[in-house]
Amino acid sequence: MKKSLVVRLLNQRWLQLFVLLGMAYLLIFSYIPMAGIVIAFNKYKLNSGIVGMFTSPFVGFDNFIEFFTDYQFGDLFMNTILMSVSKLFFTFPLPIVLALALNEVKNRKVKRTVQTVSYLPYFISWVIVYGFCNIMFTKNGVVNDLLAALGGARAAFLSEPGTFLPLAVFTAVWKETGWWAIIFLASITSIDLSLYDAAEVDGASRLQRIFYITLPGIRPTITVVLILALGNLMGGGLSGSKFQQEYLCGNSGNLERAEILQTYIMKVGLSKARYSYAAAAGLVQSVIGLSLVGISNFAANKLTGEGLF
Amino acid sequence: MISRRIKKSVSDHIVDIVVGAIVVVVFFMSVYPFYLSVVLSFNEGTDAASGGIYFWPRRPTLDNYIQLVSDVKWIKAFAVTLSRTVLGTAMTVFFTTIVAYGLSHSKLIGRKIYMGILLVAMYVSGGIIPYYAVLKALGLMNSFAVYVVPGMLNLFYVLVSIAFFKAIPQELEDSAQVDGARDLRIFVSIIVPIAKPLLATIAIFVSVGHWNAWYDSAFFVQNDDLRTLAYRMMATIQRSSTTQGTDISQAGIVSMITYTPLSVQLAAMVLAVFPILAVYPFFQRYIIAGITIGSVKG
Repeated sequence: MKKSLVVRLLNQRWLQLFVLLGMAYLLIFSYIPMAGIVIAFNKYKLNSGIVGMFTSPFVGFDNFIEFFTDYQFGDLFMNTILMSVSKLFFTFPLPIVLALALNEVKNRKVKRTVQTVSYLPYFISWVIVYGFCNIMFTKNGVVNDLLAALGGARAAFLSEPGTFLPLAVFTAVWKETGWWAIIFLASITSIDLSLYDAAEVDGASRLQRIFYITLPGIRPTITVVLILALGNLMGGGLSGSKFQQEYLCGNSGNLERAEILQTYIMKVGLSKARYSYAAAAGLVQSVIGLSLVGISNFAANKLTGEGLF
Repeated sequence: MISRRIKKSVSDHIVDIVVGAIVVVVFFMSVYPFYLSVVLSFNEGTDAASGGIYFWPRRPTLDNYIQLVSDVKWIKAFAVTLSRTVLGTAMTVFFTTIVAYGLSHSKLIGRKIYMGILLVAMYVSGGIIPYYAVLKALGLMNSFAVYVVPGMLNLFYVLVSIAFFKAIPQELEDSAQVDGARDLRIFVSIIVPIAKPLLATIAIFVSVGHWNAWYDSAFFVQNDDLRTLAYRMMATIQRSSTTQGTDISQAGIVSMITYTPLSVQLAAMVLAVFPILAVYPFFQRYIIAGITIGSVKG
C-alpha cells in the first residue's frame, strides 16, 4: 500500500529541512546574484539594495557600448586571452612530464620526498607566492644575481610589462605542477605491470616503454584533466587562480600587460563604484570564457579525435 | 629480476640523466623559496635590503619576530585568521555534509528538482558585482560574518559527500530508525563516525582556504581590526614595493632600527606557512584521498 504524499513528507521532514536550508542558501547566494546580472542593463546604485537591481532605470546596452569603446578594452581583451591560453599551455602538460619523471625514479625515498615537496606550494596562499617573488625577483634578488653572474642583464621582473606574462606563467607552474602530477601518478600505478615486463623481454628501451605503455595507459586521465582545464580556461588554467595572481602581481609598472578583465571589473566596480558598468564587463567576460572553451574544445576534437563534451 | 640481466642502452642512460635533472630541479625550486624566507626572516631587515643573502643569515637577529609579536595589528590579524579558520571550517563541514546527507536519500521527495537547482548554481554565476550587492544588502559587509557565512555551502563537496553517503548501507539507518532515532540523531551518531575520512578531507581543504584568504578581507571589509593575516602580508608588500629598498635601509641606519616592514612581513610569512607545514605530513593520506574522490566525481 502506497502512503500518501503528506505522510511520506512528514516521515522525511528532517531530511527535507536539511535540503531546504541548502536551497534557501543557494537562493540567496547564487540565484539572486544570477538574476542580479540585469544591473548590466540599467543604472544601479548600491544603496537601492536587492530590489533596486530590478527597478533601476533601464539603459539598454549603454554600459556595454561604453565598455567596448573604452580605450582599455583592446588591451584587456588581449591580456585576458593571452594569459589564459599561455597558462593552459604550460600548466597542463608539465604535470604529466613530472609524473612520468617521478615514475622513473627507482629510489622510493627520493620519489616520495620530491613528490611531497613538489605539491606543498599548492597549499600556500597566493599572497605568500607573491611574497616569494618579492624576495626572489627584485633588482638585487637571487634570480637577478644569478643572471648577472652568468653575464646577463638584470631585469625588473616585478615592474616591467614585458616580464609579467612569463612571471605569471612561471608562478602558476610553480604552484600547481606538483599537485596535478599526483593525479597522473595515481593513474600510472593502475597500469598493468606485466605490460612492462613483456616490453622489456621484447627489448623495448625505457623511453619506448614510457611512450608506448605509460602514456597510453594514462590517456583517459589526461583527457579528464584536459576537460577540467578547459572548463577553467578563463579562470586561468587548472585551478582557476588567475584573479588572485594578477591582482597581486599587477602594479603601476606592468599594468598594461597585467590588467585582465577580472581585475579590471573588481577595480572599476568596487573601487570606483561603477556597479552596472562592471557588471556589463563581467557579462562580456563570461561570454568570452564560454567561447574560449568552445573553441579549444573544437581544437582538441581536431587534434585528438576525441570529443571532450 | 629481468631488468638486471638486460644491458642498459644509451637511451636508457639519457632517460636516467633527464629524470635526475628534473628531480633535482623540482626539489630545489620547491624548497628554496621557503628556505630563503626563513633565512631572511632571521636577518636584519635593513641589511637584507641590500641583497646578496642566499643560504644563511648575514646579520642574524630575532628583531623581526620580536617586532611582529609586539605589534597589535599582526596579533589581531593572526587571531581573526585563526577564528575564521576554526569557525568557518566547522560551519562549512557541517552545513555541506548535512545538505548532502538529505540529498543522498533516493526516497527524498523532489530530489531531482533539488539536484537540478544545485547543478545550475554550480555552473552559472552572476559575477562578482551582483554578489557584492547581495552581501551588502544582507548587512554582511564589513563584519566577521562575511568571512564564514558566504562559503558555508561548498557545492563541489556536496556532490562528493552525496557519493560517499550513498555507499553507506541503508540497513544501518533503518535499524536506527526502528530504535526510534530521528534523522539528525542518525546523522550525528551513525553517519558522522563512518564518514570521518570524508569530513577530514573536506576540513583540510576548507581550512587551508580560510587560512590563506585575503580577497574577502580586501574587498568586503574596511574595519582595520578585521583584517586577515594574508591581507596584512599583501598590504605590507604592496606598500613597501612603492618605496625604494635603499631608502628604507638608509632610514634604518639613521634611526638604529634594524627591521623593515618587509622583514617583519617575512617573519609573518614564515609563521603563516608553519601551521600548514606542521599538519602537512599527517594529512597527506587525506590529501591524496581527497584528490582521488575529486577526480572520480569531477
